[in-house]
Amino acid sequence: MSNRVEAFLGLSAELTAFSRFDLLGTGLAERYLGTLDTVVGGEITDMLLAAFVALPPPEDGTRAQALRATILGSELLGDVARALIKLWYSGTWFELPYAWTQRFGPKSADATFVVSPDAYIEGLLWKAIGAHPAGAKAPGYGSWAYPPKIPTFPGSPTSKPDAVSVHPQNAGIMS
Amino acid sequence: MHTHSSIRTLDELQEILHGAMQLEHATIPPYLTALYSIIPGVNQDAAQVLRVIVVEEMLHLTIAANVLNAVGGTPDLTRPDFVASYPAYLPDGETDFEVGIQAFGREALTTFLKIERPATRPERLKAGNPLLHRKIPPHKTMLGSHPSNKELHFYSIGEFYAAIVDGIRELEGRAQREGQTIFTGDRSRQVTSEYYYSGGGELFPVVDLKSAIDALELIIEQGEGDGGGIYDDDEHELAHYYRFDELVKGRYYLKGDKPGHPTGPQLQVDWDGAYPIKPNLKVAEISDGSELREATIAFNHRYGEFLKLLTLAYNGQPSLLLEAVPIMFEFRNMMLELIRNPLPGHPGLNGSPTYEIGRDAAGPCVACQAGAVA
Amino acid sequence: MLFPSESALRADPQAVAGSSDYDIVIVGSGISGAIIAKQAAEAGKRVLVLEAGTGVNRSLVGYDDLLTTFYSAATKDNQSPFPVNANAAMPRSPQLRKLQAGETDSSTYIVQSGPYVSDTTYTRIFGGTTMHWEAKTPRMLRSDFKSRTNFGQGLDWPLSFEEIEEDYRLAEQEIGVSADVEDQSYLGQTFPDDYVFPMRGLPLSYLDQQVNNGIDGTSVDLYGQIYPLKVRPYPQARNGIPNPAYDGGRGYRPIGAVDTHQVEEGGRCQGNTNCVPLCPVQARYHSGKTLAKAFRIRGKSGQSLVELLPQAVASKVVIDPDSGKVVALEVKVYNDSASPAHETITVKGKVFVLAAGAIETARLMLSSGLRSTSGLVGRNLMDHAYLLNWALMPQICGTMRGTSSTGGIVDLRDGPFREKQAAFAIDIHNDGWGWATGAPTSDLLELVDDRNLYGADLRRGLIDRISRQLLLAVMLEVLPVESNRITVDPQFTDALGNMRPILSFTVPEYTMRGAAYARQFSRTVFARLGAQDHTSYAPSDFGYVAYEGQGYAIRGGNHLAGTHIMGTTKTNSVVDRNQRSWDHENLYLVGGGSMPTIGTANVTLTLAAMCFRSGRDILKYLH
Repeated sequence: MSNRVEAFLGLSAELTAFSRFDLLGTGLAERYLGTLDTVVGGEITDMLLAAFVALPPPEDGTRAQALRATILGSELLGDVARALIKLWYSGTWFELPYAWTQRFGPKSADATFVVSPDAYIEGLLWKAIGAHPAGAKAPGYGSWAYPPKIPTFPGSPTSKPDAVSVHPQNAGIMS
Repeated sequence: MHTHSSIRTLDELQEILHGAMQLEHATIPPYLTALYSIIPGVNQDAAQVLRVIVVEEMLHLTIAANVLNAVGGTPDLTRPDFVASYPAYLPDGETDFEVGIQAFGREALTTFLKIERPATRPERLKAGNPLLHRKIPPHKTMLGSHPSNKELHFYSIGEFYAAIVDGIRELEGRAQREGQTIFTGDRSRQVTSEYYYSGGGELFPVVDLKSAIDALELIIEQGEGDGGGIYDDDEHELAHYYRFDELVKGRYYLKGDKPGHPTGPQLQVDWDGAYPIKPNLKVAEISDGSELREATIAFNHRYGEFLKLLTLAYNGQPSLLLEAVPIMFEFRNMMLELIRNPLPGHPGLNGSPTYEIGRDAAGPCVACQAGAVA
Repeated sequence: MLFPSESALRADPQAVAGSSDYDIVIVGSGISGAIIAKQAAEAGKRVLVLEAGTGVNRSLVGYDDLLTTFYSAATKDNQSPFPVNANAAMPRSPQLRKLQAGETDSSTYIVQSGPYVSDTTYTRIFGGTTMHWEAKTPRMLRSDFKSRTNFGQGLDWPLSFEEIEEDYRLAEQEIGVSADVEDQSYLGQTFPDDYVFPMRGLPLSYLDQQVNNGIDGTSVDLYGQIYPLKVRPYPQARNGIPNPAYDGGRGYRPIGAVDTHQVEEGGRCQGNTNCVPLCPVQARYHSGKTLAKAFRIRGKSGQSLVELLPQAVASKVVIDPDSGKVVALEVKVYNDSASPAHETITVKGKVFVLAAGAIETARLMLSSGLRSTSGLVGRNLMDHAYLLNWALMPQICGTMRGTSSTGGIVDLRDGPFREKQAAFAIDIHNDGWGWATGAPTSDLLELVDDRNLYGADLRRGLIDRISRQLLLAVMLEVLPVESNRITVDPQFTDALGNMRPILSFTVPEYTMRGAAYARQFSRTVFARLGAQDHTSYAPSDFGYVAYEGQGYAIRGGNHLAGTHIMGTTKTNSVVDRNQRSWDHENLYLVGGGSMPTIGTANVTLTLAAMCFRSGRDILKYLH
């Protein structure tokens, strides 16, 4: 696997909180990197990967702040990183905001599109909530009568299999 | 040492029916793996064929359990040797053939065709010894063995099933003459179509000689076809052998077609349209501490739990089959992830389920804890 | 289920035009046409089915292509699996916009003439709208057949529940309904002592159970009458567990997927949560299953008695002015859905059945100049009005799993309050807020783009936001009103030159009074559940309706009915109790359009039952 793919997987894992195994398990990692290259171009993609590689190491307490400052909060890279998160979660590339296009120039392939039929099926959103994409990966007759099996992850509200629910008061957001 | 091929006691019958369950189950991991190795977007026809056949192999496994239950047996899918060690061996006349875990492709299909069409004994060997001596080493799985002597196996899967049918007839005939029956199993242990059904073939309770023979014939016909015809019964369902043959020939069969000469619409097969999994992978070959290794072990544990649940279902709690269904769907997701992940240290090759059930001495399963129930 | 191979081939339009021995010519391959075709073939009659769509979804490959189209669609609306075909266009809800007063919008297939803009849809494809239906199959209640007598509202049917009851059972058999009698015996519904449904009921979803935990044992008071609350399972037209006690102990064999050249599996519902728009495994009933059975029936010559001509759009009903009988149909047959090129053929038969859905059947009649003696063709258009209410449950409910809807609150389907306001049934949507807000995609966009979440925070946020979603979709009764109608106008035509339907609709006050109460009712339920109400209706919404100082976004239910209602005389109705046209003795207009009222039952089961009745009447007429 090339360094570029490695960096892309690292960035994607950090942005999505899904492991490299999960990401590779979709069979889509290289296609998503290719989507970035196609839509925003190799140059911006490389800048995004470089910004990720330049982050302080994970054990450094300032890494999250640096990621906010240099990637998500970057005028150029922020919207691209958010589009990448949405791509992993839904299989859809969502057109970049108007303001981004105004500032950095329109990209001919930048429209809202589903990367491929399997990209929809492998959207991480469904896995995150212990469900399945509508119309695919069905869980089997009667499975819906039981509580959902929501996978745990580093930083999830509970990491014990028998613990009950994600309580709204400690779930990160209240809506 | 037994040299007779016939089934002479109820114990032998029960044991060979266990062997039938083992045999029917043994085809499921190779078919499932091939199915899920297919890259999305290609080989839709092949995926469809494999999916249908896997569902029917599950049906056959359940039918074999029904027959075993009918004659007072106790199906046990948790026996240490129940799941074959792959590659396993199937008898095919004088030569055995390997059934392995591999990606969909020409090689896999050649194996599948052999599984579904048992060898027939050439005329010159008609009078020969019905049983053959095991040629493969002891730690490998040989399917189709004689129930009383694992060193001997049947000439072919066809003769294996023929021996079961003959044995049932013989033993039931003997029992009837004494005013008894071998069909002493509790009717409530029979799994019926409320719990499992598919488009091709129905589950019915096995309670007597006729229903037992019907059940076994369904297994044989769905595999190889009915007396050389391509369809397995009047519902026009294509036998497994000919479904695979359609993929080889690139064309669907139509009603009235001659074996080997399908005349229906064309279908496309992309022989390279599968992930390059390492054939017959073992956990020991996966780097220690890798996520892939953890996930592979987690899959094996889950598969083991599935077999435990099936065992309960086949032992008087048929409604548990409904609970087993979601686990089969869960396998699909787990297998897809294994198959799409690169195998560390083996450039160009991907992971695979290993089906080492009760065999991987890898310690407690950490990854199995991953599913929190909300 | 296998289509015989010859039925997989496209019938030759010239041969069809040259045939003079069709007993029955049916327009539309949806459930109405399929039931009548099968019944007629069983009686040895020769049947031609005309289908406007391409018919490629008869094969498993063609069906699966629809699924791939759905996966690839950036907007997954309820018609997204069905490719655009200008020669047989269909309404698509994302294209709608709000109308100004007096404005007509002809930019969509249905010309919206207002004032209410309906997002109702139907599917012009082989299998009709059963290719995209949700497949809930409640029966209408006894009182629904007599709403004028009982409540002084709407119309009475010329049929009683007792007269249709046996046909309900036939419909439940044909469709393959999963339900348990004990769950359906509410509000005075009764079943014969030995009756069981073909398959056992589908289990309630975990979400349903959580809602039930919060409301079971409570009640509401409406005009002094107490109504107990409970989540009850819906009967469903999808494969469940066959009931061994069905049919006097003979059991029921579920029908799986259909295909043109192989028997395929396609067994039980797997919980794809995608009944609308397309069940991926064909566990849900569609009329292709009935047609596959019909195609297998062969006549004396060994040929299939039922023929299908796809890509054939009926464009005119030709009447003999002396007898009033139908002599032929003019049919436009196209070769390629991307091109309007077509040939017009004339199809002859003894009996003609228009089974194209309430809107297309009315459109065809009106564009043939056939308004009927009563002048009611196209009038009394009905569709259930839906009011959506959405909230977040306090606990994780595992939303986004199950069939589209497994259970609901149905105890206000009937009561004396119907003298004043509409009855309703509430679906609990297992796909969460999807219908109301575009969830879960809209949630993802909000959390990433507006709330700046990523990583573990995002995962927690998604669980918190989506797995707690509850949508109560209130399905409100809509009564027949003559001014709610379909018309045609030569200035609005489609690619083939056929006139398009023009829809004029006002949501009746009776329904809006029910909607206003349903909103309060939903708030009460949310309060009992401790659920956060997120409901809001924007005045800019295309379906926004103001009522007594409040505004409500009303959605269509795709339960179209009423455009050729049945009645007791040729002056008060278009068809008789057997769905035969009063004016044209060899013409049957079948389907939802014949229903004088729709109560609070999704219409398909009832119209299927009516078609069994019509099928018998047609056979009697032919003898």
